[in-house]
Amino acid sequence: MGNHGWLAGLCLVLTLLGACARPRTEVVLMPDADGRVGAVEVSNARGRRILDQPRQAVSVSGRDRAPGVPEILSEARIEAEFGPAIAARPRAPQHFILQFETGTSELTEASRPLIGEILRAIREQAPLDVSVVGHTDTAGSEELNNRLARERAEAVARMLVGAGADPGILGISSHGKAVLLVPTGDQVQEPRNRRVEVTVR
Amino acid sequence: MAMHRVVPVLLAALLAGAPLLGAERELVGSLRNLKGPVFLLRDGVERTISRPERLYEGDVLRTGPGGSLGLLLRDDTSISLGPESRVALEHFRFAPAQRELGLVVRLFRGTMAFVSGIVARLAPDSVKVEAPVATVGVRGTTFLVKAEGE
Repeated sequence: MGNHGWLAGLCLVLTLLGACARPRTEVVLMPDADGRVGAVEVSNARGRRILDQPRQAVSVSGRDRAPGVPEILSEARIEAEFGPAIAARPRAPQHFILQFETGTSELTEASRPLIGEILRAIREQAPLDVSVVGHTDTAGSEELNNRLARERAEAVARMLVGAGADPGILGISSHGKAVLLVPTGDQVQEPRNRRVEVTVR
Repeated sequence: MAMHRVVPVLLAALLAGAPLLGAERELVGSLRNLKGPVFLLRDGVERTISRPERLYEGDVLRTGPGGSLGLLLRDDTSISLGPESRVALEHFRFAPAQRELGLVVRLFRGTMAFVSGIVARLAPDSVKVEAPVATVGVRGTTFLVKAEGE
């Protein structure tokens, strides 16, 4: 206790002398690749701020201080502060959507050439993480749908391995009806939602 | 010929969800862009890394002067760090069918660019970036965080 008080006192003096920089956090909202602008909330025990404008920033200068008033930063300042982090962004993952003959794990004729395209992407990108995920629409029994989605994902994984993909990089799963390609209500048949998505990261 | 036997065994292991790489922790994603120096702290041991590798829950990444890195998470979240930065992948769940979703990343210092992915779209309240003096709640999708002076 006494020790802490002593340290706090020392830090206060050092802060006054400018030697003890206060911890500071800055958050900047950026436009998305498609030009849209999302939102983030910056908060601590003392308060919160919402950012919802492009290049809008908020600074927080201590746990015991509320987030400051948001301001818009210039592109030059953002580049100066964040340039290397922005430049290190990985390129977007490649998505492939495969469709099946109704009720089966047989690829539709249109989807068959995608196996070769996925193999080419794997050869070019040398990914460590390729996900093979079965999806369903919202119609019918969830259990049956999940099983079919999983079987289809496994079928695609076998095709990829058969064509030369390293099984060690494949992650196979079913997301059931949780991630729809075409948004619908519950119990809606939508063939485009019954699919396997392969993502090469 | 041996390949014919190995492939089904590997596939069976994969399908059963067996950890092939000896890690029982959740696979979070993989490193893509690396510019040295970059360090990975796992199980209490920090080592230099110079080539892409898979990342698991609990991993801590650090860049030195002039270093930078980019990582892609399994839900397509993209995180990249500038020089002299340190980040922990504290929590990651991506099992939409089981409704288990979450991502918590802690930025100790430095600069980070973040583009949120599917977890933030499905469960926005479960995605957080913890910085030393504030928490960023992610409603989507692209933002920058800088932490200094700790």
